[in-house]
Amino acid sequence: MVSKVDVAVIGAGPAGLAAAISARERGAERVIIIERAERLGGLLPQCVHNGFGLLYFEKDMTGPEYEKAFVDKANSLKVEFMLETMVIDLNEEGMLTVVNRQQGYKKIKPGAIVLAMGCRERPRGALGIPGERPAGIFTAGTCQRFVNVEGFMPGSRYVVLGSGDIGMIMARRLTLEGAKVEAVVEIMPWPGGLIRNEVQCLHDFGIRLLLEHTITFIHGKRRIKGVTVAKVDRDLRPIKGTERFFPCDCLLISAGLIPENELSKKAGIELDLVTGGPVVDQNRQTSVPGIFAGGNVVQVHDLVDWVSWEAELAGAAAASYADKGKIKRADQIRMVAGENIKYVVPQYISGKDDVTLHLRVSRPGLRANLKVGNILSKRFRSVRPSEMIILDIKAEKLRDARTLKELVVDCKLEGGD
Amino acid sequence: MSKIETEVLIIGAGVLGAATARELSRYKVDVTLVEKEVDVGWGITKANVGVVCQGRDTLEFRPEYHRTKLLWKALPLMEPLCKELDVPFKRVGAYLMIRNLARKDKLDKLAKRTESLGLGTDTYLPYSELKKREPFISRDIKGGLYDHAIAVVHPVCLTQALAENAVQNGVNLMLETEVEEIQTGDSYFSVRTNQGEIKTRYIINAAGEWVDKIAAMVNADDFVLFPIKGYVGVLDRDCSELAKSLLAILPEEPGDMNIVVPTVEGNLLFGIQLQINRRHDHSTTEHMARKALENVRKIIPEISEKDIINSFCGYLMFRNFEIGWHECEVAMSSRVSRFVNMTIGYPGVSASPGAALEVVEILRNDGLRLDPNPKFNPYRKGIPDFSVLSEKERKALIKKDPKFGHLVCRCEMVTEGEITEAIKRGATTLDGVKFRVRPGTGRCQGGFCGPRVTRILARELGIPETEVTKAGKGSAVVPLRTKQLLEEGN
Amino acid sequence: MRERSKSLWLIASSREVIKVSRREIVICIGCPMGCRVTVTLGKDGSVTTLKGAECRQGQKYVLNELKNPLRTLTATVRTVDEDFPLLPVRSSRPVPKTLLQPIMRETARIRIKTPVQAGDVVARNVQGSKADLLATTDWSGPGGEG
Ligand SMILES: Cc1cc2nc3c(=O)[nH]c(=O)nc-3n(C[C@H](O)[C@H](O)[C@H](O)COP(=O)(O)OP(=O)(O)OC[C@H]3O[C@@H](n4cnc5c(N)ncnc54)[C@H](O)[C@@H]3O)c2cc1C
Ligand SMILES: Cc1cc2nc3c(=O)[nH]c(=O)nc-3n(C[C@H](O)[C@H](O)[C@H](O)COP(=O)(O)OP(=O)(O)OC[C@H]3O[C@@H](n4cnc5c(N)ncnc54)[C@H](O)[C@@H]3O)c2cc1C
Ligand code: SF4
Repeated sequence: MVSKVDVAVIGAGPAGLAAAISARERGAERVIIIERAERLGGLLPQCVHNGFGLLYFEKDMTGPEYEKAFVDKANSLKVEFMLETMVIDLNEEGMLTVVNRQQGYKKIKPGAIVLAMGCRERPRGALGIPGERPAGIFTAGTCQRFVNVEGFMPGSRYVVLGSGDIGMIMARRLTLEGAKVEAVVEIMPWPGGLIRNEVQCLHDFGIRLLLEHTITFIHGKRRIKGVTVAKVDRDLRPIKGTERFFPCDCLLISAGLIPENELSKKAGIELDLVTGGPVVDQNRQTSVPGIFAGGNVVQVHDLVDWVSWEAELAGAAAASYADKGKIKRADQIRMVAGENIKYVVPQYISGKDDVTLHLRVSRPGLRANLKVGNILSKRFRSVRPSEMIILDIKAEKLRDARTLKELVVDCKLEGGD
Repeated sequence: MSKIETEVLIIGAGVLGAATARELSRYKVDVTLVEKEVDVGWGITKANVGVVCQGRDTLEFRPEYHRTKLLWKALPLMEPLCKELDVPFKRVGAYLMIRNLARKDKLDKLAKRTESLGLGTDTYLPYSELKKREPFISRDIKGGLYDHAIAVVHPVCLTQALAENAVQNGVNLMLETEVEEIQTGDSYFSVRTNQGEIKTRYIINAAGEWVDKIAAMVNADDFVLFPIKGYVGVLDRDCSELAKSLLAILPEEPGDMNIVVPTVEGNLLFGIQLQINRRHDHSTTEHMARKALENVRKIIPEISEKDIINSFCGYLMFRNFEIGWHECEVAMSSRVSRFVNMTIGYPGVSASPGAALEVVEILRNDGLRLDPNPKFNPYRKGIPDFSVLSEKERKALIKKDPKFGHLVCRCEMVTEGEITEAIKRGATTLDGVKFRVRPGTGRCQGGFCGPRVTRILARELGIPETEVTKAGKGSAVVPLRTKQLLEEGN
Repeated sequence: MRERSKSLWLIASSREVIKVSRREIVICIGCPMGCRVTVTLGKDGSVTTLKGAECRQGQKYVLNELKNPLRTLTATVRTVDEDFPLLPVRSSRPVPKTLLQPIMRETARIRIKTPVQAGDVVARNVQGSKADLLATTDWSGPGGEG
């Protein structure tokens, strides 16, 4: 075996690239990214649309452009890549088992590890929609890959279930590519994605968004022929008599993303049941020392910019861990999701350093009052679950909280839902 | 259109048709197996939970029933058969449980019968003991009977292996060949299919869901079938630990079938929610799904809706009431000579080796000459399963063929090597690959590997990707190319 | 972490127009507020009142949306490489919304045969929009590395 790997990063998406770059910048000698796909970038190559890098580069970039900026930098810093290589095992000691064509089956024990495996889409089966099992049902991301990268169109007439960003972006893409999108169907009373996507992807093209609706039946034996759509009541149950048939030859499911944590489980890493990702401290260290995590593997981000920033924290911490064999845990205060808060990341903070909190509300509303314990309060004119809230807290502010074990974050809605 | 002549024509490559074809391939006789689908085992056999039933879980397996006889004939054969064909066979054991102590006498009766028939001994265990063995069972369970012999197989894999081995030994397998009409001649049948005409001396009608319709083509339908739709749910891998053995509740109402079954791959299936239904409707319904979930939670309360990653429905073809719910039909038609009907509502997979032997006997007794086939080879090698191999085996495999070092499906850990091998063995569709080597059956249900498997299929079959199908004609995965719609709109 | 406040305002660019006699409603996408801005127009089409925008950037955006809604178009064009069949592209500047579909049809007529680098022009002044289509990634040509 060649010289020892200091930091191994699993996944070459925006998170993995940013983590590797920052690990190199923090002095890690050998940084290697292990990626199972045939090319770098994770989801970015298929996201040919713009809207990336608005915060990080203050530029409106497309997915491939954003990717290129990071890949070029990683290359110039001599980050190493292992492509078409799957990490199939990770244990508590931080031993990786990887498999690929050229080297076969191999074990790697790096100085520190960054998890950057991203997330996967919720499939249809899990949604248990009654009906047939024909061809022509795809998750929105799979369809995106077919249309933008592989060069194939799964159909010419679509219904999209779920108004997550990917679903809306695909509705626009398919329309631009000459297909007809009959409707985007969303079970909740509000759209699942960003406002800008609702406006630019749906309104711009006159695509109807059916809020508080769901698909109750899938028709078609060989290839899908249509779906039955019904309105739902407050408990999200379909209302009898409101069923409508929508013909289509393709159904896209955009039902949200789940962090990809197969490996984390194997390593015995503690997972947060709400985010679906590892419980992390301020440095993005997981419950297993020496294993860090950043990007969608930790929490599903809506903006790639935050993916990169979060992964930079993980990469930097991993570099110092690899150097010293340990780093101080930043887990003195536990962050607790209180009223109308779905989750807070990181789950633990040190109380001594500046920190940026990522959080999401459970319900949307106007005039929200966000409070972190009694050390900080901030007003928002409007909050939505689909838009992540970013909150910077300076160390001085935390001084009073240092003796506390927990800090509760609340978000009261004063303007109603 | 071609014209084919054969001695024995088997209609339907489900588990029964395939088992019969393989059994007949031991002899020097010309056998043709036709299947309307693009692959074998996609009828009722596909919608199955894979239990090798021992016939001791209900009193309905009366010794005088034909189906009981076939099952008991088959039981000792199943494990060796799976060995020969290199398909997984796993003895998982079963607990037949009660939620009301008043029903214990029913279990006692079953246990006594099992002993008196010489089928072994089943022990009764109280809740406290069950809980130790199966920690996730509901508190409402009072006790249960343990049957160590229950095993599971993968019915589609078994059918594929049977068909593969049959072909290896000389059987002519014709896929996408649908029987449309049969004419009876003096000494032969003339069978019209969408692929041309087949002239045959004998017909084995093993058309599963359509067995009565095929029989009716020549007036050989001396039986009536009641198709009952059954719903089965598939649980996420994460739930695998919830049951180590088959867990069932002794039916509380007639027709109740409430079971959790570990598959050979380790994940759990549950069901079987039954419903009388018109045929050819294979859709799952909200009602069935809800009932099945309600039921399974009586066994393991922890299971919730979000654990369900897939579901499917199939038909149990039950015989008419006079003969009894669960009787089967494996016999020469009394009205039409040289025409054998073959249908088993339940448990057709378990009974298939016995039924196949029986059909061979029927043909022999009718005067068909059956000289041993000197070239018969009972062995078939399975496709290596990377996910269960040891480190050493994996290394060796990748060295031999680097394609085994390329993981295509992340959820089930399936390699490109396995996929190309599946295609070599006859898979021509996404589902065909899926049923041989499992990509796309895991948690993401093909989200990640779908495009990759499609590409490999196109490459190996030498067809454009737009022609790759999910499950045969009319089910293209990605029928169009990007930009094609824009060009057409121009 | 880095500065990010001001760029948030850059995200803006679209609208939903519901014609209510001489009134139009535009949803501002400047920030998560998503203000529904009501605009009344005079007979000559000029804006008489504008209500509902919580900030000035929003007002500007809304006025622009009414006058001349522009969008950056992103798309793909075909290459001659089986392993890299599509090259992602974008418009060099925002184009009128009405030109999105015509430009898309033009993308279907383009086929890239030689290597390109991100930023290279693959089509000039598409549909008279004054915008060029630029490659957004590198392609090393047929047979080369993706
Ligand atoms: C359709 C879509 C549209 C989006 N649009 C926008 C947008 O307009 N603007 C914006 O700012 N953000 C957008 N996002 C969000 C952003 O792109 C994603 O959040 C980001 O790609 C996540 O980065 P990641 O590195 O965490 O994960 P990914 O990009 O998913 O990368 C994870 C990588 O890890 C690899 N991997 C996983 N497991 C293993 C393993 N065991 N071994 C080896 N490799 C492994 C995967 O192959 C993958 O390449 C969008 C996301 C999607 C899906
Ligand atoms: C939900 C469920 C669970 C079950 N669980 C078990 C179990 O655990 N254990 C067990 O032993 N049994 C079980 N069974 C029963 C078992 O599945 C069946 O008894 C068995 O699969 C029947 O096999 P077959 O070959 O008769 O039918 P099929 O598998 O349906 O085969 C018939 C074939 O004929 C083909 N065909 C039909 N018409 C034509 C035509 N005109 N031309 C050409 N081909 C044609 C069909 O395409 C099909 O492939 C279960 C059944 C169901 C529904
Ligand atoms: S008007 Fe101002 S506050 Fe309202 S959505 Fe637009 S940018 Fe946000």
